[in-house]
Amino acid sequence: MFRDSSRSRLTLLALVAAAVVLLALDGRPGSDPVTGTARAGAELAFAPVAGGVGHVADPVTGLYQGIKEGPEAADRIAELEEANAELESELEAAALDEDRADQLDDLLHLSGLGEYEIVPARAITHVTSQGYAHTATLDAGTRSGVEKNMTVVNGQGLVGKVTEAGPRTSTVLLTTDHNSSVGARLEGSGKIGVAGGGKVPGAPEADLTYELFDMETQIEPGDRIVTLGSHDGAPFVPGVPIGTVEEVHVSPGALSRVASIEPAVDHASLDTVGVVVDSPAGDPRDSLLPPKPDREEDR
Amino acid sequence: MRAALTFVMVAVAVLAQAAVVNRLPLDWPAGPDLVVGAVAVVALTTGPAVAAACGFAAGLALDALPPAEHTMGTHTLLLCLAGYVISLLYRNTGMSGSFGGRVSAWTALGVTLLAALAMGVTFAAIGFFTGDPRVDLPGAALTVGIGTAATAVVSPLVVLPILWVRNAFAEVDFATVQGPMSPGGW
Repeated sequence: MFRDSSRSRLTLLALVAAAVVLLALDGRPGSDPVTGTARAGAELAFAPVAGGVGHVADPVTGLYQGIKEGPEAADRIAELEEANAELESELEAAALDEDRADQLDDLLHLSGLGEYEIVPARAITHVTSQGYAHTATLDAGTRSGVEKNMTVVNGQGLVGKVTEAGPRTSTVLLTTDHNSSVGARLEGSGKIGVAGGGKVPGAPEADLTYELFDMETQIEPGDRIVTLGSHDGAPFVPGVPIGTVEEVHVSPGALSRVASIEPAVDHASLDTVGVVVDSPAGDPRDSLLPPKPDREEDR
Repeated sequence: MRAALTFVMVAVAVLAQAAVVNRLPLDWPAGPDLVVGAVAVVALTTGPAVAAACGFAAGLALDALPPAEHTMGTHTLLLCLAGYVISLLYRNTGMSGSFGGRVSAWTALGVTLLAALAMGVTFAAIGFFTGDPRVDLPGAALTVGIGTAATAVVSPLVVLPILWVRNAFAEVDFATVQGPMSPGGW
């Protein structure tokens, strides 16, 4: 019905065939030399550009965060207007650096407590072009010692695991992704379960759900969960805080208890993170959890 | 000159998508898609084979750039087909007028919007039919809707410059030639 030269059709056919071959090659488990080379090549172009964007974006990010805080910041803006412009910009830059330094401090604190050996990195992408996967790109790769299946943490707790590592960047699957599942343990007990971003049938809508295998276990809102740890510390090292139980659902006839979890980490605004390159000799148990907030004080 | 400039601009669009758009700390699931706009404009101003090649190259670059969260080849295949189909339809339905005629900005933006919608729906459909647990119907509908809306808002930034380059450096001599064998089909 639609006219086109046969040569043009042949071109299309060849291109579609090439794309299908790529899909088949990359769909297989394990790494493939063809797609690996393509990714490494693309990274060569991406790393400097992302670095440049980082330099430009930092002040803009500060501005965006200011706007996001909105009306609450109005008083503060009036205050700041009295200061002169130079001092103001200096102040902003310092605050941003301080914020980042604080994050790094938290990260070092956490890794020190758990005796994890970490490589610091920054998250340089947050969304994907079609928006289904919860992944982030880090600006550290195999050259910094990052490998596939390493745990990624920040100062608050578990961020995710590395699923792809190139020479200078790596891809992290966040714990809130539907394909992510982390072996988790209830604070203070050895009761194990699985924390994942996927929807459990009969469970409430939540970024993160925790499925507890033992029906007899008492679990209450406010309880906290930490990673159980995998064999040889890959992909998850033990003892990293995952989140706090928000709501427990018991559906009749279900084989497990399901709780919705408030993640310890704000996955939408990741900045400084650490990749655990060496796991501790022993399990840090619950020592990484911050002291439990005193409920009486709230009243 | 026209080809080189187009190449540079499409490459910039792809890099901007990977390094700038994907970096935005958005609170909603999907961001704008700059590349589909670039491919759509090139497809409107060239033949189906070149359009398919452009879509293929842009998609391959997008697939290879981090984050490596989906199977490599998905964007390659979809953008390649999108480029071909846009070019073929535009040439064959008489929308193009006389061969070599200029493409208006509104046409380009409209086609970009349709292409973004089609890409979003196809992506969701692929995820849905291959049993990807990330894709469920309400979530996908929301993602496609927001993604298309975001693309509609941002696409003029990509579409208009590329369209200007494509039109300004076009070999307009052909526009006046009306031979018995019109290469534009019916």
